[in-house]
Amino acid sequence: MATFVDRYPEEASVVKACLTVAFVSLGIGAFFGLVQALHRTGVVRLFSSVDYYTVLTAHGVLLALVFTIFFLLGLFTWAITRSLERPLPNIRLTWAWVGLAQAGTVATAAAILAGFVPDIGVSADVLFTFYAPMKAHPLFYAGLAMFIVGTWLAGADWFLAYREWRKDNPDERIPLQTFMVLTTMLMWYLATIGVAVEVVVFLLPWSFGIVETVNPLLTRTLFWFFGHPVVYFWLMPAYLMWYTILPKLAGGRLFSDPLARVVFVLFLLLSTPVGIHHQYLDPGIAEGFKFIAMTNTMFLLLPSLLTAFTVVASMEHGARQRGGEGRLRWLGALPWRDPAFTGMALAGLMFAAGGFSGMINAGMNINYLIHNTLWVPGHFHLTVGTAVALTMMAGSYWLVPQLTGRKLYSRPIGLAQVVLWFVGMVFMSNAMHRAGLAGVPRRTAEPQYNSFDFTTTMGSIEELQLQIAVGGTLLFVSVVLFSFNMLASAIEDPVETPVDDRLPAPLSGADGSPRVLDNLRLWTAIAVVLVVLAYTLPLASIVQDAGLFGNVPGVPMLIGNFVESLAGVIA
Amino acid sequence: MRLTPAGALVLVAFSVPVAIELRTLFGIFGVALPLASVVVFEAVLLAAIAVAYVASSDSDADAAAKH
Repeated sequence: MATFVDRYPEEASVVKACLTVAFVSLGIGAFFGLVQALHRTGVVRLFSSVDYYTVLTAHGVLLALVFTIFFLLGLFTWAITRSLERPLPNIRLTWAWVGLAQAGTVATAAAILAGFVPDIGVSADVLFTFYAPMKAHPLFYAGLAMFIVGTWLAGADWFLAYREWRKDNPDERIPLQTFMVLTTMLMWYLATIGVAVEVVVFLLPWSFGIVETVNPLLTRTLFWFFGHPVVYFWLMPAYLMWYTILPKLAGGRLFSDPLARVVFVLFLLLSTPVGIHHQYLDPGIAEGFKFIAMTNTMFLLLPSLLTAFTVVASMEHGARQRGGEGRLRWLGALPWRDPAFTGMALAGLMFAAGGFSGMINAGMNINYLIHNTLWVPGHFHLTVGTAVALTMMAGSYWLVPQLTGRKLYSRPIGLAQVVLWFVGMVFMSNAMHRAGLAGVPRRTAEPQYNSFDFTTTMGSIEELQLQIAVGGTLLFVSVVLFSFNMLASAIEDPVETPVDDRLPAPLSGADGSPRVLDNLRLWTAIAVVLVVLAYTLPLASIVQDAGLFGNVPGVPMLIGNFVESLAGVIA
Repeated sequence: MRLTPAGALVLVAFSVPVAIELRTLFGIFGVALPLASVVVFEAVLLAAIAVAYVASSDSDADAAAKH
């Protein structure tokens, strides 16, 4: 029986090229995560605190942007090709966007890593939330722009594939995986308007010296216009796998195709008009606009809860197909030996915990308790750091054999790897949340202050630091195991059927659902209207207050120079 | 139902957040458990999983012998 690489060899090469970049970024980013966790907690200090923001920026950009989005590019290429059952229409276009996104990544990474060598004079220690007043070298912004344009072209490639399929299938419902890819990309096009304007109109000219000042609040707001929906851009590949692959791995079928479509439509509608909830403490935005953003954000819980119901129902169906019985005993019948299944299931469980801490972030009043504390990284290490990253790693155990035609090297190592990630993240994120409640700040190499002790509700700060260090170490070991397993799998002997890649039809198919669900123009139009309603007045108010380009000259992020200047001033 | 090695491993993983969050749960009710209690509780959970695994393997062996 042929697998994906036999049917679509060119597309398999594209997916492998994307996943290779993703996995290399994962390895480097995880290493920076480890040294950062050990540095912050004071366990081992391998670098000077002056370089902390270089490490933090590399960690954030390589994991939150490069690893996740390159995995998405590969997964969506696979999903479009297999669900439309045809090769991509123009493989040159496909390789063009792969090359553009890779070149952008290299430029961005070079700008960040150059920060370790001050003599070069290139630095981009602006974190992955790259808004003013922190300023990076133009290479950083140019690389990001290339990367984003690469994703736009990828989306265009997938829409062209869909258009060709539609010509041959005028009356068919959009295949579910294609529907998920297209709605996600529509959301992405809308969301990236914010970051495109921020980078092209403000940050890039500012870093080149073409304009002298920017309006920091405007760039922050444009960043978060993109910065919250990017969360769903990370998450949608995980959802695609939970909806279409996990039920099969569990031994069953997806519970409801229409419900899955409703969820993706809701994410298209609601992902973007919520970004201001990241700015509850920003002066210059009226409380009323923040309240609207909070209300919109709370609506986003609905698709997540629908997903929890649908995915768990699909897993239960699978377990009962495998002989599972009872109210909860069916859990024992699930295929826990399979690292792809176990990793995705554990990721889903952690996502539930991340959802609850996210509700705290989203609430205007209670957000003030944890804003800019270590709680926030604790939250997103559960969501992007586990729900997304662990699902991607686990999914790779099922996906990669289809791309290489070779079996997975070791399922036991894979199982140990996903379990280790779960345990490591429990340690680390739990301690981060608790430290945040004690007021420990995020984004600092030295979370200690003279004559001040953080007070925890239980245990001690030292315990929490140890927990973070142990968790971070376990997570890094987990990435090492994953990388080893992937590399070893790449040199296995080719086999005819490396994995069962068939995806069964859902229990409740698309045929009985309203055709309006597939009306992408309608949903896009509504999404645009919601964004206009949510952002027009706040943006107008920000520009009216401080002008389009403001009056902030910027803070070049060369910490070493800054510290020297400060020392000079004090002396 | 037989507890497989993979099932036991996943139960071990589940036991970690249970042990850690038990302390948080007690904290809500004003009971400050020391760190040692978490270690002891986790050890008890691990022992319980080990016993369940061995018992499940024994019952499987008995069932196989009867057949």
